[in-house]
Amino acid sequence: MNEETKAIAERIKVLLNENLGIDADVLTDEIPLFGDEIGLDSIDSLEIIGFIDDEWGVQMTGVGKEHFYNVESLAKYVAEHR
Amino acid sequence: MTDHKIRCVVTGLGMVSAIGNTADECWENAKAGKSGIKPATSVVTEGCYANLGAEVSAPDLDTLPGAEEMDRVSRLCVKAAGEAVRDAGLDMQKEDAGRVGVIMGSCVGGVVSIENYYRNGERAEDVTKMPISAIANMVARAYGAGGVVTNVANACAAGTISIAYACDLIRAGVGDVFIAGGADAFASVPYAGFLSLHALDALPCSPFNRCSGITLGEGSGALVIESYDHAVARGAHIICEVLGAGVSSDAHHITAPRPDGEGQMNAILRALKNSGLTPKDISYINAHGTGTAKNDEAEFLSLHTIFDAENDDLSVSSTKAMVGHCLGAAGAIEAVFTVKALTDGVVPPTVGYTDEDLVRLSERAGKIDFRPNVAREKQMTNVMSNSFAFGGNNASIVFSREAGNVTLPEKKQDVYITGLGLVLPGGNGIPAYLERAAKGEAPDSPSVMSAVGHDDFDACGLKMAFYRKLDKFSQLQAVSGMEALADAHLTVTDDNATEIGIVVGTSEGPLSTVCDFQREIVAKGNASGSAFKFPNTVYNAAGGYLSICSGIKGYNVTVTNGAQSGLSGIAYAMNIIREGQESIMLATGTDENSEIIDSLYRKLGLVSDHVHGAYANDAGFVLGDGSVSLVLESADSVKARGAAPYAKVLGYGMANAGVKFGTVSGSEEAVARAIRTACDDAGITLADVDAVIGFANGQAAVDKTEIGAYRLAFGDAKLTALPLLSVKDTVGECRAASAALSAAEAALLFSGKRGSEVKAYLANGETVQTTVVKTESLRHILAVAVAAGGAVTAVLLGRA
Repeated sequence: MNEETKAIAERIKVLLNENLGIDADVLTDEIPLFGDEIGLDSIDSLEIIGFIDDEWGVQMTGVGKEHFYNVESLAKYVAEHR
Repeated sequence: MTDHKIRCVVTGLGMVSAIGNTADECWENAKAGKSGIKPATSVVTEGCYANLGAEVSAPDLDTLPGAEEMDRVSRLCVKAAGEAVRDAGLDMQKEDAGRVGVIMGSCVGGVVSIENYYRNGERAEDVTKMPISAIANMVARAYGAGGVVTNVANACAAGTISIAYACDLIRAGVGDVFIAGGADAFASVPYAGFLSLHALDALPCSPFNRCSGITLGEGSGALVIESYDHAVARGAHIICEVLGAGVSSDAHHITAPRPDGEGQMNAILRALKNSGLTPKDISYINAHGTGTAKNDEAEFLSLHTIFDAENDDLSVSSTKAMVGHCLGAAGAIEAVFTVKALTDGVVPPTVGYTDEDLVRLSERAGKIDFRPNVAREKQMTNVMSNSFAFGGNNASIVFSREAGNVTLPEKKQDVYITGLGLVLPGGNGIPAYLERAAKGEAPDSPSVMSAVGHDDFDACGLKMAFYRKLDKFSQLQAVSGMEALADAHLTVTDDNATEIGIVVGTSEGPLSTVCDFQREIVAKGNASGSAFKFPNTVYNAAGGYLSICSGIKGYNVTVTNGAQSGLSGIAYAMNIIREGQESIMLATGTDENSEIIDSLYRKLGLVSDHVHGAYANDAGFVLGDGSVSLVLESADSVKARGAAPYAKVLGYGMANAGVKFGTVSGSEEAVARAIRTACDDAGITLADVDAVIGFANGQAAVDKTEIGAYRLAFGDAKLTALPLLSVKDTVGECRAASAALSAAEAALLFSGKRGSEVKAYLANGETVQTTVVKTESLRHILAVAVAAGGAVTAVLLGRA
């Protein structure tokens, strides 16, 4: 990730912590968001779509689930579409 | 046949909904298939994908006596309850008020006032209208009920469980007459919340048909339920009998029902069993039938599985297609419709089917008559109403023209405390509490907060994927509940999961989360509600999550009526065990302090500016929070498990003073009455009470009420030498948590864990002195708590 994407990733981590209760100490760029440990579900993806729209004006409704895989994939999508 | 002593009958009905302002008007419109669903006018729908609602139009709501002190939800409830009381011909001048109770269900409570608070300058007058607690209090004050007064807060099953609990209390001999039902108002919190979940239908909801979402409604249903003997004695017109009910939990998901219908079927089968009936005996079911795919699929499966093999003449319909989903009122409104169907001999329809829909329905209905579009005349004997709620709470109840075959165990089981879970300010777990209590430590500041973290979750085996979804209120409850199960050495298995239940007692429930959700939609609009937060706005979320993480599948209820809810939950749980419905119950008291809750209590001027304990003669108290869970267990279960009890729960008493909501002054007589009833229930005399763990919190009005009540109950001579113990000196006013802690403290005292001596107060005339009590001398300890509004529960505990 370049510096811009890294900055977005850091902000996404803060938003995931504040909005979806994910403990900051486990939230790396790589950890799968929908895996066993964090366990996001479809309702959580609505929240992600909501705060990414609010924060960067990027619409992720209907976007492929591979972009929601982890913080890095979300940050890259935002960086490319904002 | 049901013994006449435990027969419960309906003698009055009341209803207000989108299709009428009386039960008769609603029923005539329901039979005619008239829908009340229209574009909503009481919330902002701009920018939202669904704009429909089933709103009440009743101008007299705002001119009810005392309306200015009530949220819309209480107005709806008082109106329907008044109709039911008049219909029953109940003359309170001739009744013993202490034998008349009110049990009301609600999901969202005073959310209209919460919106007003955040839109109109955060006025103190809106604060006391916010909690669900206010609803039953308003009804009790309006009609003079002085018996058991409380609210059931199990979301969409609340109305049904309220009626079931009223019957349980009558059968237990606790009261003669109950006004039972439920109410909820159409408001931005539920509207924005269900929008956020994409659970609203853009078209009128279409249960068992299109199944593309719910339409929210509002209203209230009320039933006067009384003992058969009482109804006969006063020459009342008996409308029908209430037979058995069944309550269960899914232990599956906070918003979605189990796809396999297990929890729903457990509730239905329990209701049949408790009625002494079989599936073939039911002629009509008013289904939960919300119109969501997940509910309706599970309900199709449950109904076909239970009834197909044995019943060739079952009719099913969902009146939600006409009155919308009225949440906590739904079960009550549908109970009234179910009773009307029975007595009028007419099955109301589910409206909204096109010709094409009818073809599709016929493929799915099998031999069940799902009664599309048009009512049908049908003579019926036994009818059922089903309600399945958020939190995985299921409830089913049977009404009948006949007395049925309801039975109670020949011998009431003795009840023991076999496990404790403590989450409190200053430290979690029993050792932390014991250490602080032994040292006489006081709270750190006038507003203290409990905290749960990694260590607590790890100790309980809770994973982040689970606990991250919970708000603080639910996290406190999950940790204390799991700790209590571990302390009782109780493992929940497939074999015992349905024999264990949960009663959560709470004063404000998740009010902090509701306010947070409301603030956000006030700022950002109704289309911007948080789907993550909304499931936590229902009061029974904590009980639902506890069911999920523990695997408990039995009875599950959340009771709320102020600070005494922590003890009223124990009384509720005791009743369930004595009735033989469950062998083990987790009874809890949980309340949260947060930036929002702190600000609301400060708005009312109730938070002190300094740390103090009981009898401090101050204007405020030390605000605390926490969760205290007690494992209550039948004597048979204790023996079978070889459990080591802390203490025995000997009996309880409940009463209601009906003072102004938000205050306790004037509750002395009701407190004294609850104490006397608890002693009677325990089979001891007032002279046998060795100590009281009371509700004094240092606020002058509360403490004066407490001492006055004891003087009334015990007399001056006994009171002077009666040790008064305070848990609030250690943890602050934690509302339901400190009420439950008073019972837990008694258990710890009896077990010897609190040491050989404890500090106590003695009331001598107008002064209070401290003393030291030898714990080995204590045989009977009374725990007593009062709620703002004057509801009281007293619980007597003894050595195991």
